[in-house]
Amino acid sequence: MEDIVCNGCSLLCDDVAAGVSGKTVNSLGLCKLGHMHLETALTHSVGSNEKNLEKVADILIGAENLLLYGWTHTSNEAVREGLGLAATLKGKFASSTDMGAMKAMAHSIHSKGLEIDLEYVRNNGEFIIYWGADPSESLHRHPSRFAVLPRGKKIPEGIESRTIGVVDVRQTETMKMANHRLIIHPGSDAELLNIINSELEGKSSIKGTVLGIPGSELVGFISGLQKSDCTVIFYGSGVVNSGNHDANLTGIAKLVEALRSNGKEAYALPMFDKPNTMGVIKATLTGKYETNSLQRLVAGEFDTVLIVGEDVLANLPGPVAKALSNTKIVYVGPPGGLTDNRALVSIHTMDTIITGLGTMTRVDMNDIQFKKWKPSKEDVTIISTLIKLKELVNKKKS
Amino acid sequence: MKLNPMDLYNLLPKTNCRLCEPKTCMAFATKLALGDISPDKCPPLLEPGFEKNLEKLTELVAPMLSAESTGIKLDESKCTGCNNCVVVCPVDVAAEPPTSEGKAAMSKDTVFRVENGISKIINLEKCRRFPPDKLNCRVCEQYCCTDAIEIW
Ligand code: SF4
Ligand code: SF4
Ligand code: SF4
Ligand code: SF4
Repeated sequence: MEDIVCNGCSLLCDDVAAGVSGKTVNSLGLCKLGHMHLETALTHSVGSNEKNLEKVADILIGAENLLLYGWTHTSNEAVREGLGLAATLKGKFASSTDMGAMKAMAHSIHSKGLEIDLEYVRNNGEFIIYWGADPSESLHRHPSRFAVLPRGKKIPEGIESRTIGVVDVRQTETMKMANHRLIIHPGSDAELLNIINSELEGKSSIKGTVLGIPGSELVGFISGLQKSDCTVIFYGSGVVNSGNHDANLTGIAKLVEALRSNGKEAYALPMFDKPNTMGVIKATLTGKYETNSLQRLVAGEFDTVLIVGEDVLANLPGPVAKALSNTKIVYVGPPGGLTDNRALVSIHTMDTIITGLGTMTRVDMNDIQFKKWKPSKEDVTIISTLIKLKELVNKKKS
Repeated sequence: MKLNPMDLYNLLPKTNCRLCEPKTCMAFATKLALGDISPDKCPPLLEPGFEKNLEKLTELVAPMLSAESTGIKLDESKCTGCNNCVVVCPVDVAAEPPTSEGKAAMSKDTVFRVENGISKIINLEKCRRFPPDKLNCRVCEQYCCTDAIEIW
């Protein structure tokens, strides 16, 4: 067994190990999702790509309106290389992160200084709230590694020293660990946040049932917030994809500010499931970035799309996926999946969990370095492919 | 058998009167579900009007207050490998202290270890429910969100 880093989700667990013997892989510490991801990545066979590199370079050069798309499954180094390639080809760079409001959200959270190191959450987080986020569905180790169960400096008894709240539109598995379970009407997040915020300002208005929540439960939740010295809100797709994300995020930011103005610590962090969503956001905070890529795709503005590292066709909403299939698709990434199948030409690469090269950025903006381990095949990474492509493009152009 | 704190909470007076040691009804319900407290520690429950609730609660928590006959089972098909059991089990914390800070179990000395994405009970005999400890511990069952762990 050797130490590895898992990129099965955005937690990028770096306390895990794996070993390969014959055709089987054994792992320690990886959750089910992570182990399955590792198994799949090990089945990828990657041959020589030289011919396809030429073809892809020609298609990219011949493109009139080029989009470079995907990226949330690639390393930070590959993202930087991608931004460079986009500049060389005068193409637009966009990622699947701008689906919903993820990017705007991360920007506003970042500019307001709402984020915090997950290790700090483990050591200090007293009132933990999962809002529209169910880690038992996608980020399996979030509660055990950072937010709910582990002991920390100011959390001597683990979960016994914390208060856990879950706000969701339905019963979730995470609620089983919670002291406060608030099941709300779909789409009423912003309204609930307003009510909580005005309670915190001392304007008491809670009577009877509020948005489906018994008044006494809501009062208990708010008094928990008032008592906590360090509150951390983890918000997920329920907040972001409800069609009302701006109001929801403003409400969360206001709540954090209200708690801080009472002299308490408070933070808010997103729950992304794709491994390097935060890395893409970080890299594009300053760089050139196409923000309306989905609308422009649907409008048929791009004739060629280079998709990197991700099976986007399997995840995009119907109309976008349809518009995308009407363009020339070239693909760089692990073999298999809809996008690879539909692509005119594909260049296959090994997954970062296998190559063990580069960094990705965890949701708390910390860069996590991958670890080299035995089955690594350095020569077929996304980054080396992008570098070769750039060289070829430059050569062909001159 | 595993008790849902929410069901127990619904049988409490729900006044958060702070007369009990956990101070709130929800905290009291959580302790009840773990077998850490008995229903008669809630003074308002002993007052007239709550006889039925007290009776029902006493009946529900009776198995929780004893560690007499015991068994522990892990249904691998339900397990997501979340590592919750590894981190909360007091035996694991003693055998491999980093687990208490959320780290995955790597040694062969813990009760639970997540292997190939699924938690395995690798040292059942170390569980504190068994002799010589015979303690009424059931925190792994309590914090296994998928109900993969069952103690009886
Ligand atoms: S929680 Fe995420 S990063 Fe950690 S082992 Fe599971 S899939 Fe991998
Ligand atoms: S004594 Fe009973 S009613 Fe009062 S807070 Fe405790 S559980 Fe609730
Ligand atoms: S019941 Fe046994 S296995 Fe479960 S947490 Fe307690 S000591 Fe560990
Ligand atoms: S707590 Fe339950 S689901 Fe999580 S690893 Fe342990 S047995 Fe599996």
